[in-house]
Amino acid sequence: MSEILRSDALPSASPSLSGPQPVRFRGGGFTVRRHPWAALAAFAVLIGLWEGASRIGLASPLFLPPPSAVGAALSVMVTDGSLWLNLKASLGRIAVGWTLGTLGGMLVGFAMGIGSLARAVGVPLVSAFFPIPKIALLPLFILWFGIGEPSKFATIGFGVFFPTVIATYSAIDSVPRNLIRMAQSFGLPWRSILRSIVLPGALPGILAGFRISSSIALILVVAAEMIGAEYGIGAFVLMAGNLMQTDTLLAGVLVLSLMGLTIGTLLSLLERRLLKWR
Amino acid sequence: MSFTTWTRRAVLGGLTATLAATALPALAQTLEKSSVGVLALSSSGPIFIAKAKGYFAKEGLDVELKMFTSAQQVPVAVASGDVDFGVTGLTAGFYNLAAKGAVTIVAAQSRDEPGFPLSAYVATNAAYEAGLTKPSDLKGKRIAITTVGSTFHYMIGILGQKYGFTVKDVTMVPLQDVPKMVSAFKGGQVDAILAPSTVSRQVVADGAGKIVGWAGDETPWQLGALFTGPKTIQQRRPVVEKFIRAYKTALAEYHAAFNAKDSSGALVKGPGYDELVAIIAEATKQKPEIVTAGLPYADPQAKLLIDDVVNQVKFWQSEGQVDKTLEPKSVMDLSFVGQ
Repeated sequence: MSEILRSDALPSASPSLSGPQPVRFRGGGFTVRRHPWAALAAFAVLIGLWEGASRIGLASPLFLPPPSAVGAALSVMVTDGSLWLNLKASLGRIAVGWTLGTLGGMLVGFAMGIGSLARAVGVPLVSAFFPIPKIALLPLFILWFGIGEPSKFATIGFGVFFPTVIATYSAIDSVPRNLIRMAQSFGLPWRSILRSIVLPGALPGILAGFRISSSIALILVVAAEMIGAEYGIGAFVLMAGNLMQTDTLLAGVLVLSLMGLTIGTLLSLLERRLLKWR
Repeated sequence: MSFTTWTRRAVLGGLTATLAATALPALAQTLEKSSVGVLALSSSGPIFIAKAKGYFAKEGLDVELKMFTSAQQVPVAVASGDVDFGVTGLTAGFYNLAAKGAVTIVAAQSRDEPGFPLSAYVATNAAYEAGLTKPSDLKGKRIAITTVGSTFHYMIGILGQKYGFTVKDVTMVPLQDVPKMVSAFKGGQVDAILAPSTVSRQVVADGAGKIVGWAGDETPWQLGALFTGPKTIQQRRPVVEKFIRAYKTALAEYHAAFNAKDSSGALVKGPGYDELVAIIAEATKQKPEIVTAGLPYADPQAKLLIDDVVNQVKFWQSEGQVDKTLEPKSVMDLSFVGQ
């Protein structure tokens, strides 16, 4: 082993004697490069395979409607205006429910991150309430909030609240302690420690929590619209499922995932803006 | 396969099976395997009776009962080939599967018939006091149902056809399942619900509302059917014939025991009443007194109310929930029940 090392070392050592030598950059092994077309190409190949399988009769149109049928169902939704109607209803519910849940969650999360009493009370409570499936509580939500919009806001709000609490509280927990201690030893007032150290330090974690909670809001809008909703993407998907209109069902699911993609992109923009200081 | 071949084979098969079942128990494994998807409800009674009393075995079939929890799942299971036959209520989802050539009605199941309390219109106390005292008053009210395209949705549709209003004249509130419906009803969120007899009676016993009528008395209709896949009819016609023969034997017994009326029109216990109630109670895992409270009417010959099924298809088409190109008569093949 040492023999080899020495013989390797020799040739590299001798040219270095004869002046500076350009060194190849070896650190770029896992650097992320942008491949804007790769994702699109992957989607195109997948959709092509799917359509092809349907065309040659490998997949029955009942069990797996081809993309062309899904597209046709989607274009019907666009032309008869039902897409906009359903989208408007669902986006309104998501916006209100998510905002309520997030505000409440951040408030409680902050309290738990900063105050040790709040943490002592909050951690076991969150652990106890978080795993309750909100769907199981729907009959109770109907009794408490009725079948109008409030019960839908509540379903989404409760679903969003707990992940936000956990994300906020652990984000504050992971703000580097030495920074806080340094500020304290410099005699910085409590409020400016919070504003210039804790808040910016916790922001990446809180924003990551937004990413999760916005997806949860999208999942729960379907559950929320099980409660007597006339319009909404969730109600639309449920109805298509009940009627066994599989192409319409997939069109609705496609709209849901496009909503997810849009919200994800918006959050990325927000992240880039708010986390510029990094 | 010609007509005569399968008849002979069916007859021979039936004979062999009868022999096997009666004289030669050692040959019992020659029974042809088949399966049926059912809900654990009294309306599936004839299937439970045919299984428990060995009518399927007598026809040479080893029929496995697969339990499902909602009417939507059974035709899907038939379409995917998980079960050969299915018996449940007819929904818009069923007709959409029929439109795609996945299921075909071959015989009748239970139907809503005057004098048989199956599904009730229940009004909340507040709505009752405000004047919702008979089914025709439901026009303009908020009614909770399970889902869009369900049997309850159709019941509101035919009630409207009878009293001259359309589904647009009522506010249907789809709540997906019965617990949520009861919850909305008790919370006063709706004026009325359309619910199965057991649920309706429970709601009334809780003092939450009043029954203002029964769908059977107002609008008799074909609630459910026995169906199979068109492929099964093509490739295993003898199995379908044997299955329906056994089903009809049980159906006739069911009808005689539960649907008999005396001269005044009141229901009376027919022959074998207690034995059949015990079979159904065992299969549905319910108490006998609950079973006897909701035994639906079934035609003894398994004959279908064809006009009503045609009306159902047309209703769903007018609601835009079933493909308009579906020819109503194409959803059924009633050659097995001689209709």
